[in-house]
Parts: sequence; structure tokens; C-alpha cells
Amino acid sequence: MRARPMANRTIRVDYIARVEGESSLELHIGNGKVDAVRLSIFEPPRFFEALLRGRGFDEVLDIVARICGICPIAYQMSGVHAVEDALGIEVEEPIRALRRLLYCGEWIQSHALHIVMLHAPDFLGYPDAIAMARDHGDAVQRALALKKTGNELLRLLGGREIHPINARVGGFYRVPNRAELALVAEALKHARDQAVKTLRWTAGFSFPEFFRDYEFVALRHPDEYPMNAGRIVSSAGLNIAASDYETEFIERQVPYSTALHSVLKERDTYLVGPMARYALNWDRLPPDIRALSDEVGLEPICRNPFRSILVRGVEVVYACDEALRLIADYGPPSRPFVPPEPRAAIGYACTEAPRGILYHRYRLDSDGTILEASLVPPTAQNQDVIEEDLREVATAGLDLDEETLKARCEQSIRNHDPCISCAAHFLKLQVHRT
Amino acid sequence: MTVADKPSVLVVAIGNPDRGDDGFGPAVAQRLRGRVPPTVRILERSGDALALIEDWNSSPPVIIVDAMTPITKPGRVHRLDLTHSPLPVGCSPRSSHAFGVAETVELARSLGRLPQCLLAYVVEGEQFGTGAPLSLVVAEAVGDVAERIASEVLTILKAKEKGRHA
Repeated sequence: MRARPMANRTIRVDYIARVEGESSLELHIGNGKVDAVRLSIFEPPRFFEALLRGRGFDEVLDIVARICGICPIAYQMSGVHAVEDALGIEVEEPIRALRRLLYCGEWIQSHALHIVMLHAPDFLGYPDAIAMARDHGDAVQRALALKKTGNELLRLLGGREIHPINARVGGFYRVPNRAELALVAEALKHARDQAVKTLRWTAGFSFPEFFRDYEFVALRHPDEYPMNAGRIVSSAGLNIAASDYETEFIERQVPYSTALHSVLKERDTYLVGPMARYALNWDRLPPDIRALSDEVGLEPICRNPFRSILVRGVEVVYACDEALRLIADYGPPSRPFVPPEPRAAIGYACTEAPRGILYHRYRLDSDGTILEASLVPPTAQNQDVIEEDLREVATAGLDLDEETLKARCEQSIRNHDPCISCAAHFLKLQVHRT
Repeated sequence: MTVADKPSVLVVAIGNPDRGDDGFGPAVAQRLRGRVPPTVRILERSGDALALIEDWNSSPPVIIVDAMTPITKPGRVHRLDLTHSPLPVGCSPRSSHAFGVAETVELARSLGRLPQCLLAYVVEGEQFGTGAPLSLVVAEAVGDVAERIASEVLTILKAKEKGRHA
């Protein structure tokens, strides 16, 4: 339905559902133009960086795992690599493989939740997954099965699926044996089938014609699709080590949000997440995964954020395959962890959370006490992109009626699967027309 | 009972013991342990509500214990039969996150994956501050609710036994 574009209207949504956390959105529309877009995160600041100060380096993983219930592994992995960077720890290949396997579990469960439970209802015209499940029960059952398999990996390697406890500086408290992994492998084979069906199901959705010329930022590794390792690269030529992150990127405050906005010092807004990862690492995907991407209509670079649901689907299939490969190649390490020796140093790391790169820096005292901590989550990095997307989406839909415009804006936000809890948490949408 | 055994009744205590009255479920679970037959499984859950669907996958009767924001009087306990009807308006805990208990129950209903019997004991909380203990009025309800659930469990088991011999 169309509305009169010049009409004075206020559109208000108290809660935009299906994102993680609490924030609000205001669109100011005057004289037929979008004047201002504000993604306001009003979740109280959580002070994790300050909370880490004065704690021991060996407490980092237990503390940062509490930042997010959806992506605790990402926090643990960035944390562990940064601390190990500071302490000069090199881990054995099996430990590295187990960490990658653990990350596969998080990608599977986080992406499956977002694709089917949070994002798909937008494309199919349902208010939520509960209503959608009445007509698309098979798809929802598949998502639950995928999530369960991802959680099994988290449970086995992380000790439990929520706020895991088994990863530690230097390795793991306990490493699994082949028999334990073989059990999960059986579930993963089934999950792989479910992931392919889910991807093909989403490929049948109708996608708005909408394109953005993003600067993509992601990790890039010489040999593999990035998770735990790699240099930070961008589609505009950036190529840096994690230790140079703060040279190129800066966080800034905005008056309407408790979360910092991260931007490139030189070029401002950039995009992290599955679309960036895929665009910058398409050649690192195995041929059968690339063929699957092609089958569902994805080119090597996708610039339509509404199609990010497909990229996530591709990554779920990849994560299942990669987990199976890692399990097949697994041999237990000679010891579960390298005993860490504290020293005064600074450590840096960046890993690929499901929503994009997650940067950690720690400055340690000689006894391993944390003197300073800096954490930059993916959602803080994508906030400006989300606002810019909204500006363009709203501009293109100025003459839409309130409900249609609201729905399109919410869908646009969910294109980036924001984890607002991480960035500081959810969402009122107000559209002011003058 | 081994983990692999199918429990006769599943009690799912939901909440975070470090968030004031949100710790009601875990407190009731603690009180129930040793007071119900060994075939009764007691689970504590504080995070992913969607995992509840997997918890009750084998479809024994399920009793949920949880806390909610106050709508009438802190400390008041509601016994709800969710088997055939959703959480009443006002008793649906509002979660900032994607799937809370109410959404999970309704999703399971949409999918035909509700247990054969789903009851909930929900207390109206007074305060949910980080690191806070249970409020006095909610702490006072713990023993009573544990007793009611223990009694409810015996009734369910007796009915099952009767059904088996019928």
C-alpha cells in the first residue's frame, strides 16, 4: 500500500523483535527526505573492559564468555589468541584444529537461529517464527536440528553450550577423544543435509532489488576460510595485522547510543560479517561449496544485504563440512594445554565471530594482571552501515504506508543480524515525518 | 537413573541465581533434589530457551519453574497448565532476546512438539538486580512451591501407574 510521501506522520514501533538486545530506531523524514537515522542502543553500558582490569590473564575466557549467550566462543577465541599473543604461546596443530571445530559449532548454531527463526519470517510475511512454523514446520524443525548439532559441538569442546568453560589459555582443560568426536560427526552428516535444504529453501525467497557499495572488512588466511586466524583485509586494499587494528580503526561516541561506533579512520563506514567474509574469501571455499553458492544465485561478491541470508546459509554448509574434515583429521595433542608463563606484554587478536570480526587487545603486567582491555564487537562496527542501509531503504520506500515501511526497515536491520547485547542490547522504531 | 533413561517426570527450573528473584527456579530445584523419586529428572536452565524443546523431546510430563515480573503482588505463585493454552497475557516474561520461555512453548505447540503434559509454576518477583539474593517474599515461596511440585509429581506418577495397570 502507498502513503502520501509528504504527509506529516509519526510511525512508532515499541519493540522490533528478532534481534539480540535492546535498542531503538528513529527515522526523521521531512519534506519527502530522510533527514536523520539513529540506531540508539539504550542498553546500559556493560563495562566489560573495565571489569577485566585487575583480573588475571587466566580469567579472561570465563569473563568474556559472559558477554554474549549466542557467540561466547567468538569472545573466548579472540580472548585466548590475544592473551597467547601477549604471552608468546604457540599451540599444537590439534589444539588449533579443536578451536576451529569449536568455532564451526558456534557458526552453525548462531547462523541457523538467525536464518530460520529471526530472518526468514521477514521474507515470508510472518510476524515471527511461531506463526511461520504452522506453515513451514519442516524448515523450523531443520533449524532446531542444526542448532542442536552446533550446540553438541559447543558442549563437547566447550564443556557446555552457554557460557562455555573448557577453553583456556594455552589450549583446553580437557580435549576430546576420537570416539566422542565420532558421535558428533554422525550428527554433523545429518546436519549437513539439513543445512543444504535450508539454503535451498531460502533461495526461493523474494529479495528486494537493493545494492550497496560497501567496503568489506574481514580476515583473510593464506589457506583457509577465516575463523581464528588471518590478516585484516578490506575490499579497498587494507591489509594489516591485528596489532595494527587501532591504527586504522577508531571507535567514536554518538550522543544517542550507549554503544561505540567503530569506523575506518581514512574512509569511515565499513561492513563486517558473512557478506564481507564471503566476498573477500570466496576463493577459499571448497569447489563444491562455491558450486552450491552458484546454484542458489550467489555471485562471488554479494552487495545486496537482503541476500545475506543466503551467504549465512552457505557458511552453515561450509561449517558442517569443515567440522567433519577436522574431526576426520583429528589426532589428540601431546598435552591438552601449554602451561602459560605470565609476562608484561600487549597481545592482539581478531577472529571471525558469526557476525564479523571481533577485535581484542590486552595489556598485561609482569604477573599477568590485566592492566587494560579493549574489545570491539562486530555489531559496533556495523552500526553505521545499518544506519546507512536504513537511510537508503527508507528513502526508496518513502511513499510506503507505515506498516510496510516499518517491516522493511526491520528486515533491513536484521540483514546484519545485530547482536546489540554485545555492542553494549533492543529496539523501538520511531519514524517522524514533518 | 542414568542420563539415557527416559525420566518419568521432567522438572525444568529456569533462572539465574545471581539475578535476584530470577533465582527462584534454581532455588526450588535445590529444594526438590532428594525429595522426589529418582526417576524424576531435575534440570536447571539459564540460557537458551529454545533448548527446552530438546529437553522435553521424549515427552514425559514436564513441570517448568520460573519467575516473572510482578503483575499483582510479588511472591504470588501461579500454577499454569500450558498443555492446551498459552501463557496468559501478563504472565509471558518479556525477554530482550529472541526466544524466551513463552515463545519456545508456543513454537513447540506450532510444531506439535509439546510434551503430553506441561505445567508451570511461576512466581511474581520483586527485584532482579545483578548479584542480588532472592527477595524475602520470593524466598518464602520456595519451600511451598517445592512441596506442591513434589505432590504434583506423586499424583502424576500414581496416575501413570494406574494407567499401566488399567
